Amino acid sequence: MKDETNDALRQAKDSQQDTSRADVVTHVHSGNKLTARERVDLLLDPDSAVEYGSIAAKSGDGEWIAEAGGVDFVGTIDNQPAIASSTDYTDHGGGYGAGRLGRLFGLAYEQRWPVVMFVDGGGSRARHPRAGLGHIETSGPIGRFSFLDGVPELSGWVPVVAIVSGPSFAGHASLAGFSDFLISTPGSAIGMGGPPMVEASLGHRLKANELAGSEMHEVAGGIDLLVADERDAIAAARRFLSYYREDDASAKETNLGANLDNIVRDTDDRYDVHEIIHALTDPGSVFELRPQFARSLITALARIDGKTIGIMANQPLVDDGVIDQNAATKISRFVELCNTYEYPMLSLIDTPGCISRWQLKGQDPGVDPLLTRWHARPLIAHQQRTVPLISVQLRRGRGLGAALMTGVSSTRGVPALRLGWPTAEIGHRDGFSAVVDHNAFDDIVAPGETRHRIERMLRLFKRKLDRPQKKHRIDSW
Amino acid sequence: MDNQLIEQIEEARARTLDDARPGVVDKIHASDRLTARERITLLFDESSFIEYGALAGATTQPDDEHYADGLVAGVGMIAGQSVVAASYDSSVFAGTQSDRNHRKIAKLLYLAVEHRWPFVCFVEGAGARPDDPLPPPPIAVSPRGRFELYDGLAEMNGWAPTVAVVTGNAVDGHAAIAMLCDLVITSSDASFGSADGRSRKVTDFAKTGDVDVVANNECDAIEEARRYLSFYLTEPSSGNAPPDAEHIADIIPQNRRRPYDMRKVIASFADADSTLELGADWGRSMLTVLARLDGRTVGIYANQPKSPLAGAIDAAAADKASRFVELCDAYEFPIVTFLDNPGYMVGPQAEREGIARHHARPLAALHHRTVPLYSVQIRKAYGLGPYAMSGWGAARRVPELRLAWPSVESGGMSLEGAAYLVKRKEILAAESREEALAIRDGYAERMRDAASGLRAGRAYQFDDIVKPADTRQRILAMLQRTPRQISAHKKHPIDPR
Repeated sequence: MKDETNDALRQAKDSQQDTSRADVVTHVHSGNKLTARERVDLLLDPDSAVEYGSIAAKSGDGEWIAEAGGVDFVGTIDNQPAIASSTDYTDHGGGYGAGRLGRLFGLAYEQRWPVVMFVDGGGSRARHPRAGLGHIETSGPIGRFSFLDGVPELSGWVPVVAIVSGPSFAGHASLAGFSDFLISTPGSAIGMGGPPMVEASLGHRLKANELAGSEMHEVAGGIDLLVADERDAIAAARRFLSYYREDDASAKETNLGANLDNIVRDTDDRYDVHEIIHALTDPGSVFELRPQFARSLITALARIDGKTIGIMANQPLVDDGVIDQNAATKISRFVELCNTYEYPMLSLIDTPGCISRWQLKGQDPGVDPLLTRWHARPLIAHQQRTVPLISVQLRRGRGLGAALMTGVSSTRGVPALRLGWPTAEIGHRDGFSAVVDHNAFDDIVAPGETRHRIERMLRLFKRKLDRPQKKHRIDSW
Repeated sequence: MDNQLIEQIEEARARTLDDARPGVVDKIHASDRLTARERITLLFDESSFIEYGALAGATTQPDDEHYADGLVAGVGMIAGQSVVAASYDSSVFAGTQSDRNHRKIAKLLYLAVEHRWPFVCFVEGAGARPDDPLPPPPIAVSPRGRFELYDGLAEMNGWAPTVAVVTGNAVDGHAAIAMLCDLVITSSDASFGSADGRSRKVTDFAKTGDVDVVANNECDAIEEARRYLSFYLTEPSSGNAPPDAEHIADIIPQNRRRPYDMRKVIASFADADSTLELGADWGRSMLTVLARLDGRTVGIYANQPKSPLAGAIDAAAADKASRFVELCDAYEFPIVTFLDNPGYMVGPQAEREGIARHHARPLAALHHRTVPLYSVQIRKAYGLGPYAMSGWGAARRVPELRLAWPSVESGGMSLEGAAYLVKRKEILAAESREEALAIRDGYAERMRDAASGLRAGRAYQFDDIVKPADTRQRILAMLQRTPRQISAHKKHPIDPR
């Protein structure tokens, strides 16, 4: 090859590197942020990255450049293949190469590789209404998917993780909203319409974070995890994916030091079920999802004897462990996630049952011990669950509460193993118990024996990741 | 056989009928209500009811007077097709659920699942029966089937239609039946309650999307249930065109900013008197309607410009559309959509309600559908608005036919909004509001021509730009080429929310 061709290529590539734009990098760092390339460098294992579109045009004298605004890679995360993508808000506001991302979604689909994507970006490009797609410019379908249908197709097939560490609106927020696991940082924002659009259509002048702040989403359920900064977000993404890997042999350690016998005492006792979760699982293995949303119900990934397990637990410390509409939604989405990721599940049950919260126009907000359709969602999710579930009733499982935690205990939704602690309430009569099952448990175990029992069962289950098709998608809500 | 044995049974059976207990029946009628049996009679085609467990009682005593143990249940027919139904009798132990009537309903759900028969349940009653005197018999002699009540309903979900008709106060376990059904129809004075005596009227539930249809009374509710099931069960070979079909274009005001009632568009498009609107009282910027097109069942969902949000899709509207797509897909109702929306709702309240998450639900539901979809864009559909209504752009499922009317305005956002953003500096520097608007609207006008119906047709953004009055025929012609295909397996559940 001619030297000049090589030189031209090298020059084209170099021009895309952070070293060629020191001023931009300084600007990004001054805001305590990472550049797009730095994000991916931290995300992927060293020397594993293969870039797509490394010399795609990034500017063109006022020309519309669809593939500008981000970087896209394949590589490995903890030796597991993955797609890593990041928008670059310093480049065309992060309005990036949708066609290229669609191409990588196609690879993720065919190879069954997880996806991690940073999706902060400015949203609307109002100067180009003629495109029809508005802010989502594509360079045409060059892979199996256009970019928006890639995410629903991948949902339930491979893990899709999104990180929002800045303002993310419109098409960018849509990608975030579709993801299985959405990580964000304080000061960021995720919304359907950004400040300019809100100003234009509603007349409100709001900063991005006031309009759709990630701190608000953390409590309202719009994101799965809020972490301090981008480095922590990358660590959280890597951690989330670590549970998807095969068993973690290094984590084989028992944790029987905690004395479980004294945590649950009598019916009036309010305890923190976190203590029980930690005592039953490998040290340091508990990773809570949506921790600040619907806090009366805990969802967490963890390991027991090195094996990944999805844990749901009622939290008696918060509202006595009731299941309201949000808690019910939290259950059903988590069951869908565990079912598609093939994680066995553990339910720790201690709930007085379901309640509904009401906020109707012209009425005072109300709380009633009534059911809504939200409460039916977990029952439907359990009905299509095929991963095994072990349940442990610590104390109460009143009303429809126990059924929401395990599925209806009869046929397909039956827990693989139903355990009760000596403190479990048996044969409670309420408005739901037309048939009281006095033979409700496969065994009553002492709290201290529980982990052994679960550990043995888990050894018997096999993860069935080799299905030829996905079971179902994971609901975005 | 000893004739007395036969007589004993027949006498016991006769005592379960309404004729045999005039006192109870009069009391129910006095409060303008129907008996449990009358509801079944009204629901089913004449003489089609085969009762299960008529002799069941609260005790095994020969003179037990707790007829059918408070649940009249069996198999009947609607429009000549089998449907199972159960009706709680509030005059027997306050309609409570017992071991026997639970097993009865479980047995019927077994039949419904095995034979793919729709299921209707009339729910009212005080939840579980306290101190149910009879223990369940040993399993070997207990007719029950594969399912309990709730998992039977979960199994039915998405397989064959399930309808709850709420006729009174439905407490706890009764409410659970309703919440697990695809469709909840209530009489207007019904309510949901809990065992501690608290309750809330169904009209509140209609505002949150937990009840689909509020009918005036029990008779109307039963008629709506029959209508709903007939969409699934039968397709007449023809239907009557709507009276205003020729004038459908007149519904759209000449002034492009004036709203109009999308219900009128649907009424002028579907067969005369064929529509059944679901969830009219919630997510009001989105309409979801079952209807017929020359006899074929279709599911229509459409933006409602005449609503507080002017057709913008908020979290509730997104949830409503998503559930409707799943319902239509599960039961193989082709989908027709009418688009006129400013996109998804923006602003702090919409974001608090989680629109960034909820917006994805209809998109994902559309992506996974297999029933045909025909979309008609009337005026605008900005941002992700077109995706929500037709999945446009998705490679796996694109609309079978994507039409627009000549009034269409294509583009990613409102022309005024785009003009504001482009001319923001000039607009903010304007001396007066009038001047600002003039700058904005002047620029918007310059862009308008680029977004016209003819330009959109030239750019092949739509499969065709059609005359409004031709729309019905065009879609009908396509429907005839896409016959209804019922999948042999359950495709997916219908998410309750």
